[in-house]
Amino acid sequence: MKKLCIVFRRAPHGTAHGREGLDLALLSASFEQEVSLIFMDEGVLNLLKQQQPELIGAKDYIATFKALPLYDVETVLVCKQSLAELGLSAGLLSIPVTVFNHEQIAGHLAQADEVLVF
Amino acid sequence: MILHHIQTSPNNDSALKLCLRYARKEDTILLAGNGVTALLQRQWAMALSPFKLMLLQQDVQARGLGELLKDFTQIDYADFVDLSLSHTKVISW
Amino acid sequence: MSKFIVQVNSPAYGSAASMNAYRFTKAAQAQGHSVIRVFFYQDGVFNSNALNCPASDEFDLTRAWTELANDTGLELVNCVSAALRRGILSEQDARENAREHWNLASPFVMGGLGELVTGIEQADRVVSF
Repeated sequence: MKKLCIVFRRAPHGTAHGREGLDLALLSASFEQEVSLIFMDEGVLNLLKQQQPELIGAKDYIATFKALPLYDVETVLVCKQSLAELGLSAGLLSIPVTVFNHEQIAGHLAQADEVLVF
Repeated sequence: MILHHIQTSPNNDSALKLCLRYARKEDTILLAGNGVTALLQRQWAMALSPFKLMLLQQDVQARGLGELLKDFTQIDYADFVDLSLSHTKVISW
Repeated sequence: MSKFIVQVNSPAYGSAASMNAYRFTKAAQAQGHSVIRVFFYQDGVFNSNALNCPASDEFDLTRAWTELANDTGLELVNCVSAALRRGILSEQDARENAREHWNLASPFVMGGLGELVTGIEQADRVVSF
């Protein structure tokens, strides 16, 4: 068992990074790894409510973020500074998250066994 | 102690910005590919200055930047392999 | 001697990252380390397209991976879901999906993300490109 941290740093739908990052996160969790997620920079936009990706022919992987607790993924971190840069607050997000400042995120990155960025 | 691996120019991608936001003093930053061009810009060179910094020599020379970036530590792939093991992990931003 | 997983997320042509992954893999093997497998995810699966046809004076990365695998026994594994979405199919995938053609270069194989995860679990280090 390893502590795998999956980082989402890009906006959804314009590229497949978010969807393929989530696929890896869920698969890792189902393989009994200790998975945590960090949303930073435009990656925080993955968590906005009321997305309709099917309007642009994209897969609605966003709904799947709600399934994270079923996979025992309990650590979902959002970068405070990234929210502020985009004029967002945690209340606008579709799932419960923990907001961390950059030092707290650095601490989390330091304790993970491996970090994969999408 | 993390090895941060940057493969893109900060003008095209936020990899370097994010790496600098979350890197700690004891970490090392490795610039590869177009990532090496960050050092041509004063603001990025300044932001990188507190960190132990490495450049992939082939990526520097391939771009004709050998003379301009001669003051920075340049390494080959064997060194990269060693660094990846001497640090606790590699984050490819 | 240490164990590595190399993860490739970028295409064979149009990005320098895959070439850097290849150089890293060769350097790790040259130092006597074990590269458990190279796992191709996202656009990395384009490395396995047997139809990649660079001009004769240009570096052929698909061929280089193939030769390295044949010479050293290195495992080259695609994420099958990422590959199918991008039109990279093995003969078996073509049959199962009623396609007339396939293009997976040998000795690349299709696998699941589980092979990345179990590889990471066994490895001392994962390095992504």
